[in-house]
Amino acid sequence: MSTAPMAVPDPTPSVTLRALTKDFGGTTVVDHLDLDISSGEFFSLLGPSGCGKTTTLRMIAGFTDPTSGTILVGGDDVTSTPPHKRDVNTVFQSYALFEHLDVRGNVGFGLRRKGLDRRTLDRRVSDMLELVELGDKGGERPARLSGGQRQRVALARALINQPKVLLLDEPLAALDLKLRHAMQAELKSIQREVGITFLFVTHDQDEALSMSDRVAIMNDGVIEQCGTPEDVYERPTSVFAAGFIGTSNLMSGTWSAGCVTVSDTLSIPAPDHRGSADGEPVSVTVRPEKIWLSDLTPQMFRTAGTIVSNSYHGATTQYLVSITPELTLTVLEQNLPRMRTEDRWNPGDRVELGWLPEHTVVLRTTPRNRSESALRADARASAGTPEKL
Amino acid sequence: MRTRRLERRPRFGVFVTVLFFGWLYLPILAVALFSLNDKKSLSAFSGFSLRWYDDLVHNSALISSLVASLEIATVSAVGSLVLGTMLALGLERVRGRRGRVIGAVTLLPLVTPEIVTGVAALLLFTGIGLKLSMTTVILAEVTFSIAYVTVIVRGRLAGISMEVEEAARDLGCTPFQALRLVTIPTLVPALVGAGLLVFALVFDDFVLAFFTTGVDPQPLPVRVYSSIRFGVSPAINAIGTLMLLGSALLIVAALTVPRLFNRGTSSLDLITGGQR
Repeated sequence: MSTAPMAVPDPTPSVTLRALTKDFGGTTVVDHLDLDISSGEFFSLLGPSGCGKTTTLRMIAGFTDPTSGTILVGGDDVTSTPPHKRDVNTVFQSYALFEHLDVRGNVGFGLRRKGLDRRTLDRRVSDMLELVELGDKGGERPARLSGGQRQRVALARALINQPKVLLLDEPLAALDLKLRHAMQAELKSIQREVGITFLFVTHDQDEALSMSDRVAIMNDGVIEQCGTPEDVYERPTSVFAAGFIGTSNLMSGTWSAGCVTVSDTLSIPAPDHRGSADGEPVSVTVRPEKIWLSDLTPQMFRTAGTIVSNSYHGATTQYLVSITPELTLTVLEQNLPRMRTEDRWNPGDRVELGWLPEHTVVLRTTPRNRSESALRADARASAGTPEKL
Repeated sequence: MRTRRLERRPRFGVFVTVLFFGWLYLPILAVALFSLNDKKSLSAFSGFSLRWYDDLVHNSALISSLVASLEIATVSAVGSLVLGTMLALGLERVRGRRGRVIGAVTLLPLVTPEIVTGVAALLLFTGIGLKLSMTTVILAEVTFSIAYVTVIVRGRLAGISMEVEEAARDLGCTPFQALRLVTIPTLVPALVGAGLLVFALVFDDFVLAFFTTGVDPQPLPVRVYSSIRFGVSPAINAIGTLMLLGSALLIVAALTVPRLFNRGTSSLDLITGGQR
């Protein structure tokens, strides 16, 4: 459950947030957030709408003033620096292109503000347009471009200033699925090429997992879990994190002697888990694709169940398997080449299912990263959570 | 049976449409036609001539009124454009209930009967001892026109994401530079449209001008009205035709100029709630 960054080229902090807090009229949208993003990292803030991720981004950009806390960019305190003096640039969700300027005018806008001479400016704009593959569109007005092209202009316009951090606010949300996948790969490769820190805000888990060096899962203004994509998917540490990413078979039970007792007849061993006392209520989860319905091995934890339903998803088949009257598990089975239609389980079939003990993940039920003051504030506001911005 | 119904309906529709446009435009066409009559008669067309246009050119009172009206319309358009745009930009920054109330009050001149505005303006000007002149007409017209500019500019602003101004700030602009280099240029189509509309509205506005004008020079619509009382001269027809052509040209410009700026939305679309 390490949160140490993986594959981070340079350990100097690019963005540091300390106890960053934002209240909007009594509602705490961002709650004592602590975060360290390394230089050159592709970092994602992932969370449902209203979790405070965009507000966090806007505070780093300087568009929203924090209620309290500190923001450092490249080691400098910028908490009260106006946006135009911060060494960060933003790719907006709506792209926010300047319609009265052509593509070159848009891309060169930031450099012109910096007073670059004409020749250098022209060269750098051309280089940047090559990078985002818009070399032939320099003279077009934004209104004449497709969604994907507008997105690239927005990216180029921000990147050309070589900021210490590039902030991306759901930049792919407006694109259709195919284009979005293509742009994900492209964004990632551009980030590697330029080596600039990317702070990417999204509610799309696939996007966050496939592009990021590290992901922070946000909920209700706090970071639930922060780690590599593999960390947060394979080893979620909170009920929210487990539930938000992927499908998870969440069960609640009691911890005792290395096992989670879910019901009278079901006790799941979790040899890797530390830190819970006997009798403590815990939650436990196992990912659907980690559960086997055939070819079980002796190392696996096993239990019996009844198939409730099956649904064919192309590459996989999803089964709902009832273990006890109260407990139904989702199982995802790869449709391997050797499998035939008649091999598929049907509703009513009795099956034995099992998974390796290391795939049992025990979860804490309260968020971990909450600071003391945040928890105290929570207690005060416990009478219902108003809708967050 | 069904096909017969389908055939009959359009015929009725065509009839109503023709009747409507006839009722609307035939009197105007008559004015245009009789401005070309070679006799003074307004009922019998006896021959084609430009003598009333010639008359008009030599009628110094009418010409000075025309010049006055052009001047009033131009100054009013520029003045209300500046004030209305400032108001729209300011309102954009006042959010919530307060913003809605101020916004609604801004629109009141659009629904206030013009005659009330006119009387009120007259009482105000005489009350504070301001001598009625072209200046008072312009003051009244600007007051009245600000609402139009604000509505159009706010409509355009609503179409621009707040993020555009933030993007400018993000790329190194001070708040004032963001306004000058990004927001205002983005508003140009709306500003052109609003300016042309106000010009057209003020140029032939009668009610406000009637209440607030001095003796000389009178705005054209007031001059035309007062000369009609002493019998209609076909020279009035001539100037009416010219005004019609001028106004039509402006409206066409207000509709089309924004499209030249590469934007699909013209300011008149914004007023009428047309295409967005």
